[in-house]
Amino acid sequence: MSAILDIQDVTVEYSTGGTIVRALDGASLAVRAGETVGLVGESGSGKSTLGSLVGRLLPGNASYPEGRVLVDGHDVLQLGVKELRTLRREQLGFIPQDPISALDPTMRIGRQLELALRGLPNDRAALVGHLERVRMREPERVLRLFPHEISGGMAQRIVIAMTMARSPRILIADEPTAALDSNVRSEVTKLVFGLARDAGTTVLWLSHDLRSVGRWCERVAVMYAGRVVEDGPAEQVLGSPTHPYTVALAAADPAGVQPGERIETSSVDVATLAESFRDDERAAKRRAKTRKTDAESADDPEPAPEEEVVAR
Amino acid sequence: MTAVIRLEGRRRGVLRRSWDYLASFDGLAKTAMWTLAVLFTAALLGRLFGLGGSPTAIVGPRLAAPSLAYPAGTDSLGRSLLPRLLEGVMTTLLLSAVAVLLTAVIATLCGIIAGYRGGRTGGVIMRVGDILYAFPAIVLAILVAAVVGPGYIAALCSIVLVTVPLMTRMVGQATRLVAQRDFITSAVISGVSTPVIMTRHVLRNISGTIAVQGTYALSVAILVEGGLSFLGYGVQLPGSSLGLLVQEGTLYMVKAPWLILLPGIILVIAILAINLIGDSLRDRFEPREARSLE
Amino acid sequence: MSETILELDRVTTVFRTGWGRGRSELVAMREVSLDVRAGETLGLVGESGSGKSTTASVALGLREPTSGTVRFLGEPIGGPKQRRARRGLIQTVPQNPHWSLDPRMPVGLSVAEPLAALDGSRLTAHAERVAELLRQVRLDPALAARFPHELSGGQRQRIAIARALVTNPRFIVFDEAVSALDVSVQAQILNLIIDLQAQHGFGALFISHDLAAVRYLAHRIAVMRLGEIVELADTARFYETPEHEYSRQLLEAL
Repeated sequence: MSAILDIQDVTVEYSTGGTIVRALDGASLAVRAGETVGLVGESGSGKSTLGSLVGRLLPGNASYPEGRVLVDGHDVLQLGVKELRTLRREQLGFIPQDPISALDPTMRIGRQLELALRGLPNDRAALVGHLERVRMREPERVLRLFPHEISGGMAQRIVIAMTMARSPRILIADEPTAALDSNVRSEVTKLVFGLARDAGTTVLWLSHDLRSVGRWCERVAVMYAGRVVEDGPAEQVLGSPTHPYTVALAAADPAGVQPGERIETSSVDVATLAESFRDDERAAKRRAKTRKTDAESADDPEPAPEEEVVAR
Repeated sequence: MTAVIRLEGRRRGVLRRSWDYLASFDGLAKTAMWTLAVLFTAALLGRLFGLGGSPTAIVGPRLAAPSLAYPAGTDSLGRSLLPRLLEGVMTTLLLSAVAVLLTAVIATLCGIIAGYRGGRTGGVIMRVGDILYAFPAIVLAILVAAVVGPGYIAALCSIVLVTVPLMTRMVGQATRLVAQRDFITSAVISGVSTPVIMTRHVLRNISGTIAVQGTYALSVAILVEGGLSFLGYGVQLPGSSLGLLVQEGTLYMVKAPWLILLPGIILVIAILAINLIGDSLRDRFEPREARSLE
Repeated sequence: MSETILELDRVTTVFRTGWGRGRSELVAMREVSLDVRAGETLGLVGESGSGKSTTASVALGLREPTSGTVRFLGEPIGGPKQRRARRGLIQTVPQNPHWSLDPRMPVGLSVAEPLAALDGSRLTAHAERVAELLRQVRLDPALAARFPHELSGGQRQRIAIARALVTNPRFIVFDEAVSALDVSVQAQILNLIIDLQAQHGFGALFISHDLAAVRYLAHRIAVMRLGEIVELADTARFYETPEHEYSRQLLEAL
């Protein structure tokens, strides 16, 4: 079998203010061409880091002391800047969580699509075609709008259109529906998987929601504390999970509970474990760092990398 | 089991804590702080112990170059420049500091009211600020000097008028952000009175903004004082300030360049140092992490 | 039947923005009627823009409705002036764990704040009661001395619940109180709310876009859409036979 994406024992560390925080701790995942894989994990599990790592899209303070990431046989972590750019452009597609911020607020949708399609036919008809492919109503009108004039669902469709226009080999979707309302959510999900199937694209779908992932992906990988702790066909991972964390995660979902039933949180030791774990890490950081109390009060729309991260 | 639970958090000596706080700044900001401290101490010592002699006494030849007897040379009347410089530094720093303190008080008051109340009151405060802000600083300063008459008071008032609008605006914006936070809503629902909310929650959470803007206002203040005295509307002879010294120096720029260079350089250094401290404070209070993608 | 704590009677709230020709109106709540009884949780589900946040601020007495009446313990809730009279009786647990507590205050003082507002005492005068509350939300009382950024999201939300409970309120609004939390932490908080309600008997309005959480916790569910309540039913009935088309859609999406 040939894996189009092969992540081997990768370790990623962020250095912030003199401390080193380990986000990935020997994570491994191999994905065959055309597979749809759901990568499930809660905040701090390292799933976003893993997703970004495929395109080496990590912030400048990240380092990769161990492991390899092979995309179609190329080691992404060793590539030169030019090759990396070619790889990103021709092989990879990313759909972010917040579609509005992925669009340039100063540019009309049409112009942005045009730029995204450089090298491909990008006349009016082609643009309209791409928007129709993502079931956009009134594509002609939408092309003339600015990002602030469209809804989150529309923006996400546009980002999907831009990403899928190049028929990437691998699509990495980082909670693309988390910011959307539930009725739009399933439509957008259906759209992404439909387009991916038509183009033969491999999908790596990042999510915190075990249940929804089970519905859409053939395979589910569960991440915890920087590692892939469970990996297998969706029915198996959801139906008879083996790792205690997966068991706890499945049990904690209120949607799976019958009326009158109570969620057994006593079995969710893992959650408490994760909290105390983060607690220890915080304490360690506090000791190591000179007090940085004040940074917290600032208005920080994006979580700093250390928030996203679990260390040993 | 549990002993007394202290709610105040960890307490250490005030001195120790302030020292730790200062020590936590980056090298550049620390250098800037030392520079300011040295400038200020020199000026203070000069004033207290008459370092370099009297600033007003005529002691030697006119326009003498710096030498052992006159470390900074002498001016057009034969007064030693060093004591005059020290006095100038003192006047400029003190005048600016007092003015900025006034600015901070006024701007914080107006800003918090405008930002928290919003509505018509807030609108009026902000518009008045905008109008003041639209005036070129130096025109405003000259206007004040014309009304009050040149001197310390005119300089003080001008600095306050020039720095208040911007700071009010920044404080107002910061307040508006804080006022939307959930913990304010919780306090309102709990029946905490508005003045208590303003001091307990709002003021504490915008203290960073006040510190940063205050620092920038200080550098603007020094600049305004310099400009005003240079134009003759600020500090009057026989007093001394950096701006006044620069103005005097311009007359003999070719024959005695130290007369303009020395106060000029000190002015630049002081402003630079204050701006560096301001940048460092801003990084600390308003981190905008630049995320680079190699 | 237990006592009615809060009652909204045909409440309509209209937002007006702009002036002149640019003036526009948005009806955030249209003829909304609902009631919350003691010891009961009413779940309010809806998407963003459905008017549930406006409903929350009306129920909290933060916003006066354009028409209709809001009654708290049988009396009209009135405007901000009456707020002091009923302080301590209504509390809220807000959405974002990051901003639910003042970042500049030890969390123990945040918990003490509603108590201090009741009798005008100092924040530090309530250490014992704060410790008691922290134990009730299953936190180590020693955490009271910490600042919010030294706690995890789940811990911060427990502190916010402790603060809401400290005055023994009759009515608490949970405004998306678990939405920002991880699933495993969310389950613990949901159970905590259920247990505390059984213990204290407060009436609760639990607002969320997440039907699964609402269904787990609420005794009755109101589904809101475009400013109107399209269905209001007991949770059990809602499970079995949702009547409105939109409710069915929501259930299917689970």
